[in-house]
Amino acid sequence: MLEKKIAPKIDDAQKFKIVRREAIYTGIALIALIFFWLIAGFGTASIDVKIFHLPLWAILGTVGVWIFAILISFVLSKKLFKDMDLGGGDDE
Amino acid sequence: MNEGSFAALVPLIIFMAVMVGISFFVKHRQAGKNFLGSYFVGNRELGGFVLAMTTVATYSSVSSFVGGPGMAFTVGFGWIYMAVVQVTAIFLVLGIFGKRVAILARKLNAVTVVDIIRARFQSDFLAAVAAFVIVLFFCGTMTAQFVGGAKLFSAVTGYSYESGLILFGLVVVIYTSIGGFRAVALTDTCCALIMMVGIVLLLHYVLEAGGGYEKIMSTIETNHPEMFEPFSMGNMPWGIYFTQWLLVGICTIALPQSVVRGISYKDTSGLHSAMLIGTVVVGFMNIGINFTGILAHGVLAGDAASYGGVDNIIPTTIATVMPRELVGLAIIGPLAASISTISGLLIVASSAIVKDIYIHYKQKNFETVSDVKIKFLSMAITAIIGVTVFVIALTPPNLIWLINMFAFGGLETAFFWTLLLGLFWKGANKTGALFSMVGGTIIYCATQAAGFKIFDLHQITIGITVSLILFLIGSYFGKPSDKETLKNFFP
Repeated sequence: MLEKKIAPKIDDAQKFKIVRREAIYTGIALIALIFFWLIAGFGTASIDVKIFHLPLWAILGTVGVWIFAILISFVLSKKLFKDMDLGGGDDE
Repeated sequence: MNEGSFAALVPLIIFMAVMVGISFFVKHRQAGKNFLGSYFVGNRELGGFVLAMTTVATYSSVSSFVGGPGMAFTVGFGWIYMAVVQVTAIFLVLGIFGKRVAILARKLNAVTVVDIIRARFQSDFLAAVAAFVIVLFFCGTMTAQFVGGAKLFSAVTGYSYESGLILFGLVVVIYTSIGGFRAVALTDTCCALIMMVGIVLLLHYVLEAGGGYEKIMSTIETNHPEMFEPFSMGNMPWGIYFTQWLLVGICTIALPQSVVRGISYKDTSGLHSAMLIGTVVVGFMNIGINFTGILAHGVLAGDAASYGGVDNIIPTTIATVMPRELVGLAIIGPLAASISTISGLLIVASSAIVKDIYIHYKQKNFETVSDVKIKFLSMAITAIIGVTVFVIALTPPNLIWLINMFAFGGLETAFFWTLLLGLFWKGANKTGALFSMVGGTIIYCATQAAGFKIFDLHQITIGITVSLILFLIGSYFGKPSDKETLKNFFP
């Protein structure tokens, strides 16, 4: 039987602390993605390897970046971000 | 109407009828609920999937489906490498602003982004400027969507530009006016799904008509080797990569049409799902449609100029490869991108006038406005803005894609630091926000008008830098925010 996950009740100060931390995680994730994008594309442009008729940089710099972004979103949303009551009675 | 085939119109007519049907259904379901909350933010009831789809659909405009793949046709894989930076758009805006805006909106009873700006900086003037900037730049973006969609319609179906404008343009105004934000979110979801179906369909028929993947790629390798270089032998200078990271990547977190989605969802588990789903979908769309643009070389032998420019590549490809009975279906995808952006902007522009200016003015003067009047005004203002943009689009201005990008940069210049520093820095104050929003936007518009650039970079780099400097100067010299405000925003 499925049980509805109930977000814990915490005070405003704690909520904002968590939200601030999550925003920082997101910023760090962005920096990681920028680095990955640079290395995956420009960084491998000189490598003469082709996959499915495409140069390595074109695969890693497009589909690779997309998969990395999905991975980042997964880690952020499922591992680092916390469920919480948003207040205002909307979650009741 | 001219010699176009009616059969090509049938899928589009059915699709638009479904959109109107959804808006009537939503109106019926929302009856009896708080009107302002339901009309402008859908009573904060969005689940993860709809939140993801509405954010992606509003963000992905007709230029993502027409101009972008046309450029990929010319430039090659460097264009997809640049366009893929848009995978950041959804997890960034929801990850940075999603929860903070949701908590604040519930605490302050806010239904718009301007409500939150007003509460943070305690300034009616700043709120009025923000509302004005939203309406001004949104009208530019909406005009670009109307024109882009109608041109595409005309090129593919053979019907006139005006017929397309009436068929999809007026319908989107009608369903947005009737159903409000909830209808926009649900129709956006349908649009996003149909966009993905459209991409898969077009890709399939391009591959089939071009003789298969291997044959097309061999042709491109032989005839266009530059398309396999990141800088495309000079067609993709580093400056484009850099400015696109700002313009369609990082700075999009401050677009009011995206931030307002943070007010509209139900709970945090929905937000978390939306971050993941949205990233999957936005990447699929970007890579899928731009890759299709490159593969169009398998069916279009000439260069972009021989088809009337990059904007005509996708319409010509649709008309060339799709079976006649499926042309009507294929065109729904790009048109869905257009109408979902229009509806998303229309409802936020309407809220800026009704809620942020009119109702606030009345409340300030201790005047009450009846629910019936609010309801009438909200629907009427939405319709008036929509019809105004529709009329502008009847005589399409030139350089419409530049207008679209201009509006994007203007909104980012105005709102990026005001929202980011306003919501995360206690030292941000009214003076800083005013300097930043007014000064930054004026400088951005002036440099655009004068064609002034630094290192040949898009003017967003000047706008966003000046806006930051002015924010810091204003915050240093201005009066700090009062304790009560800071207690609300930084408890």
